[in-house]
Amino acid sequence: MQNPQFPTARKTGLVVQEMPDELLVYDTENNKAHCLNRTAAFVFKSCDGGKSAADIASLYSLESGNKMSEDMVWLAIDQLNENDLLEQQVKSLFAGQSRRDVIKKIGFASIVALPVIASLVAPRNALAVASCQCTAPVDCISGSPSYPVPPCPTGTACLSNTCVTP
Amino acid sequence: MQSTSTAEAEILENDRRWYLLQKRRDELEIEQAFSIFRANGIEPVLIKGWAAGLSYPDDEPRQFTDIDLTVSASDYERARLILLLGELSGVNIDLHNEFRLLDTLSWDDLFANSRLVKLEGTEIRVLRPEDHLRILCVHWLTDGGANKDRLRDIYYAVANRPSDFDWDRCLDVVGPNRRRWVLYVIGLAGKYFNLPLDDLPFADEAGRIPKWVIKRVEKEWRDPVHLLPLLSFVHDRKQFFRQLRKRVPPNPIRATVEMEGNLDGNMRFYYQVGCFAKRLPAFFRGAAAYVRSRFKR
Repeated sequence: MQNPQFPTARKTGLVVQEMPDELLVYDTENNKAHCLNRTAAFVFKSCDGGKSAADIASLYSLESGNKMSEDMVWLAIDQLNENDLLEQQVKSLFAGQSRRDVIKKIGFASIVALPVIASLVAPRNALAVASCQCTAPVDCISGSPSYPVPPCPTGTACLSNTCVTP
Repeated sequence: MQSTSTAEAEILENDRRWYLLQKRRDELEIEQAFSIFRANGIEPVLIKGWAAGLSYPDDEPRQFTDIDLTVSASDYERARLILLLGELSGVNIDLHNEFRLLDTLSWDDLFANSRLVKLEGTEIRVLRPEDHLRILCVHWLTDGGANKDRLRDIYYAVANRPSDFDWDRCLDVVGPNRRRWVLYVIGLAGKYFNLPLDDLPFADEAGRIPKWVIKRVEKEWRDPVHLLPLLSFVHDRKQFFRQLRKRVPPNPIRATVEMEGNLDGNMRFYYQVGCFAKRLPAFFRGAAAYVRSRFKR
């Protein structure tokens, strides 16, 4: 059983695109897309099930020359947790505290940017382009009688062959 | 206005990130599709979509909703079975049985001239640029010229063609009607997207697009109703009849191509009649199969 103090980032069901200053992650299981800033991306990539928050903070300091507090790492882990990017749910270190209080505690004086995981919204024309809803593999095979099945209901969009609320 | 610009910039940045992610996801699916088919002894050829995007500039992603894979006639049923068994569940594959209407060259010829393009760790088979441009043009016409944005595929395929691009291979391996189809689509990319044509050997010919074709494509672009599979709307009477009206009479551009006709002549009406008659049996077969499949559920 995984020690929750050694979080593990999900690998399955995620499409990851590295960018110079951020990490883009698409979760194919719930059709959500995220943008992790450099700090959050570092923590995400360091969550290999063998490192504690303190280990990750030390690793960051070693690699970048800048100090990162353990609280900062936990702030990132919390957000990874909330966005279902960890293999297993991790108990928050800041349970009962508001995000504002946590950030105040960490302080704005840190050179290291606060970890941020932003949700990406599907562009409007991406929703217009996807018009096929496949509830079974056969539905999306051209030439099959039901290809493609009716478009998604109003207010939803077709992504990865299922209708989702954007 | 500053806040509007900032908001707009944020939206653009969000969209850029979204498309990059989608592109990566699509590429993974393409790799997966090739891997599965190859494991089953089938070598597909990827057309349109990602293959068309190879000509696009890096900062302009080419969106696509499905992966168009073409396989030989002898592999088609096995390929269909692979998809039916769910081996590529979640991957939206549009499977083609060779190239049919899209080209008159044989599968063997097109396959022999295809090339492999590296996508991360996988080599993806695509057509040679000359053949792909020709097929992109014909495909654009089979959509009745309805998709203005897809003229960008033509634009970039011509503008960013390799230095050894062989126009004879592109245009002169097919009959005169098809040759002119391709030229007129290139001409339309010139007219509406400012594709430079002056240095091309057929510039004059490409510029002589029949007036009725121009009129028709502009009409299609103004029409808010896009052609979609009729059976998709059996539950929506209003949409169903809209789709039906769009089909009767058949789009004359599509009809001309389906009847292997001449875009320059005055035979459009006959092509439309021929196309309508040709499609009726397939429509009834599809409707019957749809009804059967619904009852099974």
